[in-house]
Amino acid sequence: MSGTGALLSDRPAGRHARLSRRLPGPFDAVTLLIAAVFIAIVVVPLGRVLTRLFWVDGGLTLEPIRKTLAIPDLGSLLLDTLILVLASSALAFVIGVGLAWLNERTNARMGLLTDALPLLPFLLPPVAGAVGWTMLLSPRAGLLNSWIRDGLAVFGIELREGPFDINSWYGLILVMAFYAVPFVFMNASAGLRNLDPALEEASRLSGAGTFRTLRTVTLPAVAPSLGAGLLLAVWFGVGMFSIPAIIGTPAGIDVISVRIVELLTFTFPAETDVAIGLSFFVVVFVGLAYWLQLRILRRGRHATVAGKGARAKTIDLGAWKWPARLLVLGYVVFSTILPIVALVLVSLNGFWTPDIAWSNLSFTALQRAVFDDATTLQALVNSLGLGLVGGLIGILGAAMIALYVARRRTLLAKGIDAAIKLPAAISNMVIAVGILLLLAGAPFFLSGTLLILLIGYLALYLPQASIAADAAVSGVGKELPEASAVSGARPFRTFSRIYLPLMMPGLVAGWALLFIRMVGDLTASAILAGTANPVVGFRILEVFTSGSFALLASLSTVLVLITGTVLVVVLAYTRRKSKLGVAARVGGV
Amino acid sequence: MPLDETTSSATPVVEVKNLIKRFRRESGAVVNAIDDVTFEVAQGDFVVLLGPSGCGKTTLLRTIAGLETPDEGSIAIAGRTQFSSREGIEVPPERRDISMIFQSYALWPHMTAFKNVAYPLLSRRGRKVPKDEVARRVREALELVGVGELERQYPGQMSGGQQQRIALARALVNNDDLVLFDEPLSNVDAKVREQLRFELVSMQRKLGFSALFVTHDQTEAMELAHRIAVLDSGRIAQFGSPQEIYHRPATRYVAKFIGAINESLGTVSAVDGDTVVVDTGHGRVVGALVGQRVAVGDRVAAMWRPERGLLSREEPQAVNRWLGRVKAPMFVGSHTEYLLAVGDVDVRLWSPRSDLVDAGAAAWVSVAPEDVRVLPLDGDGRRADAERPSAAPAMVTAS
Ligand SMILES: Nc1ncnc2c1ncn2[C@@H]1O[C@H](COP(=O)(O)OP(=O)(O)O)[C@@H](O)[C@H]1O
Ligand SMILES: [Mg+2]
Repeated sequence: MSGTGALLSDRPAGRHARLSRRLPGPFDAVTLLIAAVFIAIVVVPLGRVLTRLFWVDGGLTLEPIRKTLAIPDLGSLLLDTLILVLASSALAFVIGVGLAWLNERTNARMGLLTDALPLLPFLLPPVAGAVGWTMLLSPRAGLLNSWIRDGLAVFGIELREGPFDINSWYGLILVMAFYAVPFVFMNASAGLRNLDPALEEASRLSGAGTFRTLRTVTLPAVAPSLGAGLLLAVWFGVGMFSIPAIIGTPAGIDVISVRIVELLTFTFPAETDVAIGLSFFVVVFVGLAYWLQLRILRRGRHATVAGKGARAKTIDLGAWKWPARLLVLGYVVFSTILPIVALVLVSLNGFWTPDIAWSNLSFTALQRAVFDDATTLQALVNSLGLGLVGGLIGILGAAMIALYVARRRTLLAKGIDAAIKLPAAISNMVIAVGILLLLAGAPFFLSGTLLILLIGYLALYLPQASIAADAAVSGVGKELPEASAVSGARPFRTFSRIYLPLMMPGLVAGWALLFIRMVGDLTASAILAGTANPVVGFRILEVFTSGSFALLASLSTVLVLITGTVLVVVLAYTRRKSKLGVAARVGGV
Repeated sequence: MPLDETTSSATPVVEVKNLIKRFRRESGAVVNAIDDVTFEVAQGDFVVLLGPSGCGKTTLLRTIAGLETPDEGSIAIAGRTQFSSREGIEVPPERRDISMIFQSYALWPHMTAFKNVAYPLLSRRGRKVPKDEVARRVREALELVGVGELERQYPGQMSGGQQQRIALARALVNNDDLVLFDEPLSNVDAKVREQLRFELVSMQRKLGFSALFVTHDQTEAMELAHRIAVLDSGRIAQFGSPQEIYHRPATRYVAKFIGAINESLGTVSAVDGDTVVVDTGHGRVVGALVGQRVAVGDRVAAMWRPERGLLSREEPQAVNRWLGRVKAPMFVGSHTEYLLAVGDVDVRLWSPRSDLVDAGAAAWVSVAPEDVRVLPLDGDGRRADAERPSAAPAMVTAS
């Protein structure tokens, strides 16, 4: 053929030209700028800390690694961490998926009630939840234990303590699982809600029963959502420190996160070397979980999203409807209501005792603890403002980046994606310490400002923002924005008119998640907040170390009210939207 | 090559040159979804890209829309270069001033029909359409496609056919010179499809836009097209009017893909100008060449359409006549299809008469030499066989 030679000589020119064409438009440029800032607030502090792993006092060294490997109980530390994270994530997965399925696909659903209930653990900052559970199930003074003992006494069984002990493996795993359930539940129900009902209907028509359909069609089709939920649960488990610290430590269960915090904040001078060495194990573990989730995602890529926002016909559970409902309600009572009740009782009672003086309950203690205390009030205001603003910045930035990553599958895009999710793979503590080292002193002098907290919160909760934004973007699909581009809309317009409204339910949910995380944050707050810039997490830690359970209970009660209101409003909003048919028709059909 | 022509009625609306688009499969293998494609769409033309699933139709359409970046070649719309690998030009889709209808309609679920249709009017750069004009033109477009009463409905509240009409209105509202269609009728039921097809043709003829229409349905292609481009594994096998494609197929692949056809394989025994004599398993076949050259001894296929054959009980006076045995006459209303075993092949024949011969009887088949196409086996023959492994020396129908 005569054209072959010309074709061959074309090639280099073509390659070269493509490079010049890849200059980003204004939309991409803004996105890349945001991505650069987001990555910098994580990577720079991290680099600051990590260089210390190999570079101490101006010289290359393996000393920190040697010191870490020399920890006498390293083996049991790792094993305990692994057992705790795996067991609590597995339990949370089963509970979360079960609840989501009952709620989305069966007539056990009770409207907004069941929608919101499994998310209730979000209401309670983990540290408050852990305290609440201690108040309930402490062997001697635990309220629930005492009530059970009273009940057993009626049958002539006399116990002096127990029957339950929160400071045990089962207690710890259970409370950790309760806190991981919302991650699984949120993702699983979003997946189920968007699933094309025709997939399930086809299976039922092929003769498969309810549970066979669930197992062979529904769950595999929503595997990406389930994988995302499980990954979040694992991340949460690895990074969580307040629950294992309060419940696990007295039981002799020692996990990495607690040890890192101890080494950094409760040891003087701080053993940063060993803390960073331990973080390395966390990095490996979370990296493994991430890789597994990617594999699941790749396999489940072809799950289809419903057209026309169709809602599946719910499955009639028949006689099992009420038992299923009772199961859901029982879970909620057990996981959330009871600890909240314990907190409220103790805060109204004024001090912690199994013998509540029911007639003397009053708001005096609550009022005194929260609203008459200038520092606490200031902390509340600061936390709310930071949650509002930080959540907004985080989710909008993450949305733009998620869009960029979805549209451009270049190496750069993949790198940005990985970098944004990086904080999850590193102990929050480490990043917070890095931010402190980097920004508190010269030349920034941000110590004691709200800005340093904002930066810290953003850095820590970027992965959550990113995952929520990814889910929202993937729900919009390819053709709807393409139709907009062909209609002549520029990228900014396509973003504001097509992507944004379609992603809105997902973004609002993501914002709520960030808000709640930031308001209830303990990790960054412990390190970056002070008396000059108090936040709720900082106050809780102060109160906790001073040992005032009644005060702690009061503070937690107020937090519950705030996060609860946000959660209910957001849920009502996203439900309404998804009924309007915002779930888009995606893909070829 | 400099594009110095100015826009005039002679300038093609679309000009695609040597376009190549490669995809890397999950397995790592590289496929040429578009393989050196060159073609033009003239002003007011209705061009259909026709081919089986996976032959690259959608990819070709998407590269023209700017939704996919080709690897090599160039694309010009109305004389302006939109893509050129050599000059390093790539115009984004929003600046190409074209409209497209997606297979899934791609109506925005959070907007009413009115807002969906108004969107292109409000989005194009460099032009501010006043509010009342927007309303007027949207209503006009909705009336044009016959769904004026749906303007306040959301896509989720419409039937597939109605959504299709809204998508059409959205594509037409801007009066673009070029409208791209990606199998827009494949998701609606047969009755609606026929109706929409009919309306689409009259609309296109009336409004005068150029259309590039992707389908795998040959009937649809025949009905709609001024010209058809038959695609075969990313290449254009033939580009011509429906009549040309049907009566003068350039390759065996095209012949087999469009309509029903009889095929006998054999060896060329004599060539005289465009007339060729072929020795086949059931005797001598005299046919005509279309463009190609063959020499004595070449392996070729002699092909002819079932409606061109004649059936008789007595031996006819014809150059091509073969005795066969009737397997089964099949009455299908407008005609009767007779299936005959002739030598080593099965031959299909359509006749308006249903009482010519009975099953099991012997009968003569004849066909005029000018109705028989002789096509070389090499080259595309491999493709055609690969496409339909059961096609061997027998009857092929594409439907
Ligand atoms: N994004 C993609 N990645 C890899 N291969 C693709 C992609 N899109 C299309 N292809 C491949 O390109 C070929 C042509 O696809 P397509 O244009 O969709 O065909 P058609 O529309 O004619 O059915 C097919 O082999 C298909 O598998
Ligand atoms: Mg296609």
